[in-house]
Amino acid sequence: MTREWNIVVCVKQVPDADDVSIDPETGTLNRSDAAAVLNKPDYNAIESALTLKEQVGGTVTAVTMGPPFAVAVLETAVALGADDGVLLTDRAFGGSDTWPTSLALAAIAEELEADVVICGEESTDSSTGQVPPGIAAHNGWAQLTYVEELEPAPEDEELIATRDIEGGHERIAASLPVVVAMEFGANQPRVAGLHRKIYAETDFEPEEYSASDLGIEDKVGLANSPTSVGGMDTADPVPRKKEMVEDADDLFEALEEEGLV
Amino acid sequence: MPADVDPDDYEDVWVFIEQHDGEVAKVSWELLAEGRKLADKKGERLVALLMGDDVDEIAEEAIVRGADHVLVADDPVFEPYRAGPYGAQFAALVEERNPDIALIGGTHTGRDFAGRVAVPTYAGLTADCTELEIEEDSHLLLAKRPTFGGDAMATIKCTTNRPQMATVRAGVFDPAERDESREGEIEHVEVVVGGEDDAFTRIIERVVSDVVDITDAEIVVAGGYGTEGNFSVIEELADALGGEVAATREAVEEGWAEPARQVGQTGKTVRPRLYIAAGISGAIQHLEGMNDSETVIAINSDENAPIFENADYGIVGDLFEVLPALAEKVREAKGEEVASDD
Repeated sequence: MTREWNIVVCVKQVPDADDVSIDPETGTLNRSDAAAVLNKPDYNAIESALTLKEQVGGTVTAVTMGPPFAVAVLETAVALGADDGVLLTDRAFGGSDTWPTSLALAAIAEELEADVVICGEESTDSSTGQVPPGIAAHNGWAQLTYVEELEPAPEDEELIATRDIEGGHERIAASLPVVVAMEFGANQPRVAGLHRKIYAETDFEPEEYSASDLGIEDKVGLANSPTSVGGMDTADPVPRKKEMVEDADDLFEALEEEGLV
Repeated sequence: MPADVDPDDYEDVWVFIEQHDGEVAKVSWELLAEGRKLADKKGERLVALLMGDDVDEIAEEAIVRGADHVLVADDPVFEPYRAGPYGAQFAALVEERNPDIALIGGTHTGRDFAGRVAVPTYAGLTADCTELEIEEDSHLLLAKRPTFGGDAMATIKCTTNRPQMATVRAGVFDPAERDESREGEIEHVEVVVGGEDDAFTRIIERVVSDVVDITDAEIVVAGGYGTEGNFSVIEELADALGGEVAATREAVEEGWAEPARQVGQTGKTVRPRLYIAAGISGAIQHLEGMNDSETVIAINSDENAPIFENADYGIVGDLFEVLPALAEKVREAKGEEVASDD
């Protein structure tokens, strides 16, 4: 008999990328009215966490760090099938860059005695992709990023992954505990069932942790972030001719004029 | 104050040379060119860091391409690449030698292990930068990166911690030119990785094929959702023009094109002379990967598609008619050229 696994899935609330549009006049982004939703790549993370649980047994706990209303993404995870949800919420976390963010997630993963931590590839708002390796580095655990497929090997206390590498792929085995970043689009996320949805919205209450509950109150937040935003510029739209032509013949002529064919 | 460091104790610009099985990732040479500029501006050395098994030839090439000093960690544990050994070795060298700036290619490999250096050394790490500058008075690294789909550029600074680390997108800088007359020093460093026990992982199988590098292409013909999965017209035109096929994220996710051909924020940055976008709406995610193209042509049946705002020439029409017609014209013209050469 092999033991069951504690699977932790990290999720993030982000502005809905589909709600974000370009203002054709100014070339800038409209996102003021974008709703807060679950980061899209995290659906792939949740799906593989649930699949892993079906294969080896155990529990799936969704974790998020954010303001109290970020509980909404935990509800989404629970509706999809996560057994439980944990909210890391504290003013002390405010302004954290990837170093303290991955520290907080590493601390809760340790607290929950995680065997496997699964994250999405990156967040659609800041897209650094640094948090999953950061969690692994803080805890001194193995990591598997850009994962296309997971195969558990519970008898060896290992997780085997097929991961995307430049120009191909590799199969790699990691000893537990391990942090996984699933590649965006790696699987087909399931749809939440109605009963589960109702439970998530009405009865589910997340467990809450503050920074001091995790003993990291002096190591998180803006003041403990090594990087800071030194400024924001609007990216100037690249000037284009925007010339409309009728058909392939006209287009070919234009290409000839430009010396492109 | 995150870390008790005195920035004056840190100097030199480090560039990580990524190689797999003796093949150097082109971004490494791009970073050497950019690192050379930063080092000159600061009046410091450009140091290349190389890990692998039997890689002295690459170390010499790094000098030819601009490095003053090359640190080589040579051991079988570094081949094939794994995050554990790479991160541990790099972090140990950072702690021993205090570089001020460390640049790593924003490849899957670079983005995989950069955190394993930045976390234990408490370094500031900025992801996927597209511009690097040295601030005049402070001599701080200004690492610029596109945010939220690329409409804005954020400048990230690291004022208190060292080193200032950044992963840098492939394809945005020109590679360093070779200069055989350059001189530099190659130093073999102590390998600190304690063999397999420190590795956490073992590679069972590694399959790498000759995947095309679209970042080098002069002409790119890209297809999106509007192709409805029929990429043959894209391939036909690319073939006629002597260019490469590329695709949007959607098209890659649908399985219509290989991931290596994806252009966009999460894919590759291309800078061809000619970029033809067929059946591509022009989401910001995609625009970011093609914005450096010289001439952009858009073909889309939806006249309101944002791609037309970002194209030099546009046709509102059916790509299944326009592309074959254009391919035919191109073939005719080339045929005539050949004929007139006779």
